[in-house]
Amino acid sequence: MGNKLGRRRQVVDEKFTRPQGLYQHKDVDHKKLKKLILDSKLAPCFPGDEDCAFDLEECPICFLYYPSLNRSRCCMKGICTECFLQMKTPNSTRPTQCPFCKTLNYAVEYRGVKTKEEKGKEQIEEQRVIEAKIRMRRQELQDEEERMQRRQEISSSSRNMAPGEVEDTTVAEGDEIVSSQEPFPSRRQSVRLRQNRDDDFDLDLEDIMVMEAIWLSIQENGRQRNPTYGDSVPSEQYLTEDQHVSPAMPPVAESSSSPSGGLACAIAALAERQQTGGGSSSNHDGNTSTFNMIPGYSRFSNRGEQVTEMYHPSGNSAEDSPELGLEMNRDDGEWGVDHESEAAEVGTSRASSDAAEDAGRDSALPTQHEIEGGFQTVGGSIVPDSFEEQMMLAMAVSLADAQARTSMPGLTWQ
Amino acid sequence: MTSTAAPSRKVLSKIACNRLQKELVEWQVNPPAGFKHKVTDNLQRWVIEVNGAPGTLYANEMYQLQVDFPEHYPMEAPQVIFVPPAPLHPHIYSNGHICLDILYDSWSPAMTVSSICISILSMLSSSTVKQRPADNDRYVKNCRNGRSPKETRWWFHDDKV
Repeated sequence: MGNKLGRRRQVVDEKFTRPQGLYQHKDVDHKKLKKLILDSKLAPCFPGDEDCAFDLEECPICFLYYPSLNRSRCCMKGICTECFLQMKTPNSTRPTQCPFCKTLNYAVEYRGVKTKEEKGKEQIEEQRVIEAKIRMRRQELQDEEERMQRRQEISSSSRNMAPGEVEDTTVAEGDEIVSSQEPFPSRRQSVRLRQNRDDDFDLDLEDIMVMEAIWLSIQENGRQRNPTYGDSVPSEQYLTEDQHVSPAMPPVAESSSSPSGGLACAIAALAERQQTGGGSSSNHDGNTSTFNMIPGYSRFSNRGEQVTEMYHPSGNSAEDSPELGLEMNRDDGEWGVDHESEAAEVGTSRASSDAAEDAGRDSALPTQHEIEGGFQTVGGSIVPDSFEEQMMLAMAVSLADAQARTSMPGLTWQ
Repeated sequence: MTSTAAPSRKVLSKIACNRLQKELVEWQVNPPAGFKHKVTDNLQRWVIEVNGAPGTLYANEMYQLQVDFPEHYPMEAPQVIFVPPAPLHPHIYSNGHICLDILYDSWSPAMTVSSICISILSMLSSSTVKQRPADNDRYVKNCRNGRSPKETRWWFHDDKV
């Protein structure tokens, strides 16, 4: 496992078992320090390198480069031994906080030089941070959407609720949250991260997956819904609807089979529909939307979940493995600043992994709201500016498509 | 300028010097948005221009931060103040002292000048009123003999702004 190197008794040169003079340490028990370093429980006090060389790690406190660093048990951030020794505030009654995540009872362990696995894990960790940000943003959007819906319920008479507006405010809010809640300790890295990745990662994969899930479920939906539709609804009520919905449908039906090229058709169909639909559609709109949305929701979100799960396998394994790593290392190299009970530490590691799992589970939720958003946004604008809007448009059209299929029997019955 | 005297005029330790040099390089490569480091040959005192974020109460306003580094930076927090005239803000005193926990009790050596700047801009941006702290006059009077804000016993009560 990841600690092989740490466990193997490295022969540490005598001169690296004491501080190299980076700081003027007070209250350091040199004998104890030496023992811990020889036992591979703390990283050797290598002299820090000014420049980054291949395979060196930067200590985030002194900004010097080392062959290996200690890791905090709470957040796995690296720290060189000499900086770690500085973290203990002498004569303080307060338990020392982790300088990176502020967890109490800061403690580190040493696992030797980072293995490939660990480097991989770190990347996955980064990936998870990005995903968490996406979830946060989605949650924000969802909340906003719910608020809008409530507002809409209150004033249900006015259907045109300026979709552009909804978009803007929610997105802006999401942005703010993302930036303001960013944990400070990793700023130096995360700022870079944000610039490189945040924007790119917002939609891409996950949304495309969701899209696909929706396409699939709509196709399925369309097929399945026919009988129920026929049974539960008196057909005469839909006669008018069929008349102005069906003309618009043929191109759309095709588009659903080739999702990639469907946008143009989608827009065309929507435009057509809006024209033909005209005034009479107001009450029929209400009907169809409730009809489509309610059964659609659960189906979509289920589908979304499946797909997200499929997409996450690497994430899942990552959720398990760090904990495993922790377990393996429990009695390995630990030197707590405040020698606290094991229980507390186990508690924290458990908590964090739980949280991660929870988060993983939650990631299915936003899909539902996405769809919701799709419904509401589409009504007003035909010209999509962003990828997001385009997706929403496409979704709306595919819904209309499903609707068309369901209404086909109505036509033949006529 | 007594009120802006650095908390410790001792020269920077080797490690502080090294870290600041690297922070400066990093800043030059990747400066925080809305900030500009004014070039001097004094590594121990940075003067940084802050531009109010667009869409906030401080949009189109420019202020100056003065950051003085103690001998044992980053183990010890830098002293960060606005060079008067300081922005009108419920947590910024007219002498430029800033009531912000990360500058005092909550400082961590894992923070950087850049992260401090982001926190300060975020504090400005989330303000809803342009006004001085309620105890501004009393506080400023107490600081008249050039006391550093790091010697103030701050109360951090407002986590909104």
